[in-house]
Amino acid sequence: MHTIIRYGKNKPGILLVMLGVVCLFILRSIGSSAATPSYANSNFGISGRVIDLQGEPVQGAAIELIINGESEANDDEHNNDNPSSQTDGNFFIEIPADDLDEITSISLTISRRHFHTTGLTASSDQLSQLKSQQSIRLPDIEMERRITAGFWVASIVFVLILILIALEKLHNTMAALLGTAIILGVSYVGGAFNEMLYIFDFQQALEYVNFDVIFLVMGMMIVIAVIEETGIFQWLAFQSYRLSGGRVWLLITILMTITAVASALLDNVTTMLLMTPISIQIALALGLDPLALIIPEILASNVGGISTLIGTPTNILIGSYANLSFNDFVRYLTPGVLIAQVALIGYVLIRYRKQFFKGRGVSPALMEMLQESGRITQPEKLKKAGIVFGITIVFFVIGESIHLIPAVTALIGAVAMLLWVSPDVEEMLSVVDWTTLMFFIALFIVVGAIQEVGLISMIAAALGKVVGTSLTTSILVLIWAAALLSGVIANIPFTAAMLPVVGFLTRTVPGATSNVLFYGLSIGSAMGGNSTLIGASANLVAAGISERAGYKITYVEFLKAGFPATIITVLVGTIWLFIRF
Amino acid sequence: MRKILCATRGGEASYRTQDAVIERALEEDATILFLYVVDLEFLKHTSHGTRPHIVRQEMDRMGNFLLAMACERAANKGVTAHPILEHGKFDQALIQAAQEEKVTLIAFGRPAEESVFQMSGLQELAQRIELETGVKTEIF
Repeated sequence: MHTIIRYGKNKPGILLVMLGVVCLFILRSIGSSAATPSYANSNFGISGRVIDLQGEPVQGAAIELIINGESEANDDEHNNDNPSSQTDGNFFIEIPADDLDEITSISLTISRRHFHTTGLTASSDQLSQLKSQQSIRLPDIEMERRITAGFWVASIVFVLILILIALEKLHNTMAALLGTAIILGVSYVGGAFNEMLYIFDFQQALEYVNFDVIFLVMGMMIVIAVIEETGIFQWLAFQSYRLSGGRVWLLITILMTITAVASALLDNVTTMLLMTPISIQIALALGLDPLALIIPEILASNVGGISTLIGTPTNILIGSYANLSFNDFVRYLTPGVLIAQVALIGYVLIRYRKQFFKGRGVSPALMEMLQESGRITQPEKLKKAGIVFGITIVFFVIGESIHLIPAVTALIGAVAMLLWVSPDVEEMLSVVDWTTLMFFIALFIVVGAIQEVGLISMIAAALGKVVGTSLTTSILVLIWAAALLSGVIANIPFTAAMLPVVGFLTRTVPGATSNVLFYGLSIGSAMGGNSTLIGASANLVAAGISERAGYKITYVEFLKAGFPATIITVLVGTIWLFIRF
Repeated sequence: MRKILCATRGGEASYRTQDAVIERALEEDATILFLYVVDLEFLKHTSHGTRPHIVRQEMDRMGNFLLAMACERAANKGVTAHPILEHGKFDQALIQAAQEEKVTLIAFGRPAEESVFQMSGLQELAQRIELETGVKTEIF
């Protein structure tokens, strides 16, 4: 028997729940900053930084102090229980102040899972300095990666997930959860029998989950859910038809523009789910091949989504990882996307030019039905939702200057929607797609695992060798590799895995600190979704609806239209980045 | 009064079937029931928060539009046709409609080359539905 808890009109309750969530979020941030140790009050000792061979800081490396050949690790008198390196790789280890004269040697042993243990001994000068109670700073300590059995487990699991998703053998979320279960299961059970199988523990796994992304996605889900039921998409599509006055080229142009803008501000899948049925009706009413409207809309949706932080899940991932604000995307990417969109419209008009002369008159009965499909169903709700959504966008824009991160802005927008526009919490919270949120959480853990075992470092090192110190080569390789790979593998896991790699290149390639490579990743991974039918979720849902209307979009047909579109738009995007940076 | 049940969508293959069924209805002085089945199975391709009932509403509108086009096509040739919109799995919806409306013939369209339905599969489906409903089936 189910116990039904009704939240319906309990507005203070909702507020409390949401406030609780916000507080937890803030406390978490404070907590994480408080975890950074302060060395200001330390006595004297040895400080240093542990890095890997790519110069990346190594967190959690245990530093064991050895004095006169004896470990100080469990010396309760000094409470010196193996300190470890922090997130920036830095560490500080105190030297016991008593019996300094008796010290003849001091050495450190640095160990961490998935790395070879390394050690170093203080020189006679350093020893004298320490004996005179002066701290010393060591040069950066490099740790070499160790390929363990856990490395192979994590790497194989990640590839397996990509394959399962690409072949649609398992739902995205199920595939990612399966990967998480294998990784943690092997770590705990396998690790108990063979230490080499250990990858990470549950606490470490959770540290890889980016809660900014989770909250931003959740907040936007609620905001979009309120807007989607008002009929605004269908109304816009019908108005496109009216505005075009039967001119097919104008209809395609307006529909593509509307789709691009909607995808930039909301999300591609919702846009295509709601635009496709009405677009098919418009096409049929006019005697056009519906695919001449649907395929251009799909292409426009995937390109348009790139222009804002909230337009695609990949942008949300990139923005959160690289700390790029809503305005950063608007400043550095939107103009380029607009130019790419213009080029895309030009390409589409040439490709579908034969359709321009196929238009015919519409029967009054069908026109009446079309009009009915294209009306705003909830005008009052749309008015309120429009105001809240507008304010949310304003907060996204000004958020940077008032220290408001996008995740909190989305949460505020969602709470406002719940309180003022659609107070049925039960219904609204049901629109939060927990499977998607679980997908992100599980994906972060799996990507965290390949980061932990060193696969990402290896890819970064290999890519670093290919691009050398050339920013131009880095941009070209990254954008085009991302574009081509996104057509065949799911772009969300791909982007999530590439983020640390791009982060490494950003720090090491001269001139890349402008974050240009992150924008390149955004362009490549999202525009690449246009190259094949399976390249993006929006493609598949639009194809699904179209097939149910009797107009099947085949893989080859989409490839013929989508691949040249990808080449054109990625080319424009590449040129834009070279001009802008 | 004879009733022909014809499952339909849009596209050239469907129009050919609709025309053939309309011709048969003219010959037999029958009424046509055009059936469109809304199946949201494709939503499994996306792990997305859009509520299925919102998508279903849009798919219903699109289905009704396709049915109206089919009925208009029949009316233009002087044949009476009515739309039926069902939800769920295609074969179950077809059987249910056939039984409720007490039809005398169930018409299937010959699969187009690119269709997911193969001829052999369609013949198998037609035979199964004929067995379950006791209504004659025919592939046009």
